Amino acid sequence: MQTIHPTLLVGPADWDARQMPREEFDERLAVLWRDYPDASGAVVYGNSNCHAALAYLTNFTPKLEAALAFIPRHGEAQLLIGGGVNMVPAAKPLTFVENLAPLREAAKAAAAWARTLPAGDIIMIGGDAMPTGMRRAFDQALGADRKIETADATLQARMTIKRPRELHVLRAACTTLDAAAQALHNALHDNKRVTDCILLAEHAALRRGAQDVRSLFSLDGGRTLRPFDIPLAERRDPLQVYLAVRQSGYWADGFVRVAPAGDTLQEKIGGILDTMVAAAKPGLSCRDLTKIADAERGSLQLHPLADNVFGNSIGLALDEPPNLVRDSNVRLEAGAVYSLRAGLLDEAGAGAISSAIVAMTASGSDVLWRDSAKP
Amino acid sequence: MTFEQRLAEIRGRLCATSLDRVVAVHDGAHFIEKPDPVKVLTGFKALGPVAAVLDRGGAVSLVVTPRWDAERARECCPGANVIPADDVIDGIEAALGSSPGDVGIAGLAVVPYRIGKCLTELLPRAQPVDAIVFEPARRKIDTELAYAREATRIAELGFQRLLELAGPGMSEDELASELRWHSKSLGAEDNFVLLCAAPHNKAVAPSNGRRMQKGDIIVCELTPSYRGQLAQICRTIVLGEAPALLREKYDLVSTAMRAGFAAANPGAAMADVCAAINTVLEAEGYGEFCHPPHIRRRGHGLGFGSIGPGDVALDNRIVLEPDMLFMIHPNQYLPETGYLLCGEPVIMTAQGVEVLTHQQAALAEIAV
Repeated sequence: MQTIHPTLLVGPADWDARQMPREEFDERLAVLWRDYPDASGAVVYGNSNCHAALAYLTNFTPKLEAALAFIPRHGEAQLLIGGGVNMVPAAKPLTFVENLAPLREAAKAAAAWARTLPAGDIIMIGGDAMPTGMRRAFDQALGADRKIETADATLQARMTIKRPRELHVLRAACTTLDAAAQALHNALHDNKRVTDCILLAEHAALRRGAQDVRSLFSLDGGRTLRPFDIPLAERRDPLQVYLAVRQSGYWADGFVRVAPAGDTLQEKIGGILDTMVAAAKPGLSCRDLTKIADAERGSLQLHPLADNVFGNSIGLALDEPPNLVRDSNVRLEAGAVYSLRAGLLDEAGAGAISSAIVAMTASGSDVLWRDSAKP
Repeated sequence: MTFEQRLAEIRGRLCATSLDRVVAVHDGAHFIEKPDPVKVLTGFKALGPVAAVLDRGGAVSLVVTPRWDAERARECCPGANVIPADDVIDGIEAALGSSPGDVGIAGLAVVPYRIGKCLTELLPRAQPVDAIVFEPARRKIDTELAYAREATRIAELGFQRLLELAGPGMSEDELASELRWHSKSLGAEDNFVLLCAAPHNKAVAPSNGRRMQKGDIIVCELTPSYRGQLAQICRTIVLGEAPALLREKYDLVSTAMRAGFAAANPGAAMADVCAAINTVLEAEGYGEFCHPPHIRRRGHGLGFGSIGPGDVALDNRIVLEPDMLFMIHPNQYLPETGYLLCGEPVIMTAQGVEVLTHQQAALAEIAV
């Protein structure tokens, strides 16, 4: 899901060696080198908006300006940090990489680093997120001497299958999401104004150490969602909200709908979500999963936020590929974690969306979080 | 100046060229230093990649991703033809139709390659025309100035909250997160809270997990955005009693800031403001610290739309005009004290600068 991107990432992002020890990253890199046996090094770019791969390989979250990792197959990585030499000390706690330097003339720096490597390809990750000018300079600086291979899709396929330590952190993120959702319920029951409900939910997540919190909410009975703009005096019941929390690098998100008991749309949407969660198993295609959900839907219209795309993989990125697209042949994978959503519009135009986060097991799925909208 | 008047000026500049249309593009990754030409043309702050197409007749199309955000765009920009799209390039293609004519692009240099590559393939002959959009936006419109005043009010309340919250044992991250949330509760949809603490800061840097201690000097930039318009205050706080030397040096930086205010007059160059600040510090023997890596600039414009009139820097020759909004912040590293933050948002008027804060920067202490 897309939310408003904040201008600066401010939450806790220090490397926690107990939670993600160095050997975890070594193992991830070993897999990358196995996938690219001819590569002698990797260039990994990340910025505050798009840095899942950089975080996966270095633990580094670029809070302010972009960062670039040069990772040789043999030897120590180097991390170049935007913002000048005085930014380096503040960046050190965010990564296990010891060789940090300011990011200047990125393409030239990459070419100089590449010349230190033995013969072999260079793999590029995050190159599509580079500013256009920077990427063109990279292609020019690196392309003459070396074969540059884009590795985003291959690495992403690895990142989709969560490792045990990642699953542990994702569970913690889901617990924080649940605390935020509970605070939302409590606020509505206390008759709080709509934006106060959002603020209280976000604060509940921050008090649990969330690195980031994002939200969207509805002012029109769940038909559309919008980001926070200014505090509003209005109250909404039912209240439709989207919450996303990031903890220790990993995202958990959910559509939360708080409605009075007996709400017909709530019951319908809860039933569909339960059906989807129960059906989710490795090998099931998106097409078949939507067929199963559609059987529950009856004549009600799909919600625009859950019509074509009804979920995605989730992890170090909030909108991690693959998207789960209605008529696609993409199949659910064992070991992956998905955010699944069901959404409907009723005849009067009111909307409801409810979601769950599921970890795929060998034969089915384990529910890590679910909106408490029950049928 | 109203939004409509500025749009008319942009259209006038377009009509003075041989171009048929301007395509403005932004990736939705809002950043304090990244201008957003779509916001200038439409006022819309997007969730995802977005584009605006302005033609010579003045018609504006707004391409919005994700498509489900189109209704908010229509609310925000009732005069625009809103085109919902799954992919911004497809939306631009739809907006341009089968005869795009001669097209210029604003914002191309800073969009990610995945967008820039497709856009240049779609419009191979298009030239960058950022100046058409951003030059008229070097001055703020009435609503942006009003929003900057409100953002400044929120920033000052945020500073009061900082004085209540900060103390030994709290991490920089915890403080930054709380301040960001607090400003949201006051109406700021975003806040660039750049904050760190140490006995001797080399710079102001993003917060991390370091826990603050007695004797630390907290340096912070609080930069709330109200309805998409940023304003900033730069402040320095001591956890404990400030030593006399620190007070003395902070007075020096404050004096330099006031010299900057005095030099900022209509018709002066922005470089003159920087030079006036440097002169105060150079006179006290800090000339070598008036350049990188210690200091890059003495202030900057405030987005999220245009970041004009640009940096308060020696190489910025832009001439100051009424309704320009920018920061004046000496923000100086001094070897005796470390980095000190001191800065205010100002609006140029016909008479000189109007400082937007009610209480200008002074060295603050938190009893511990």
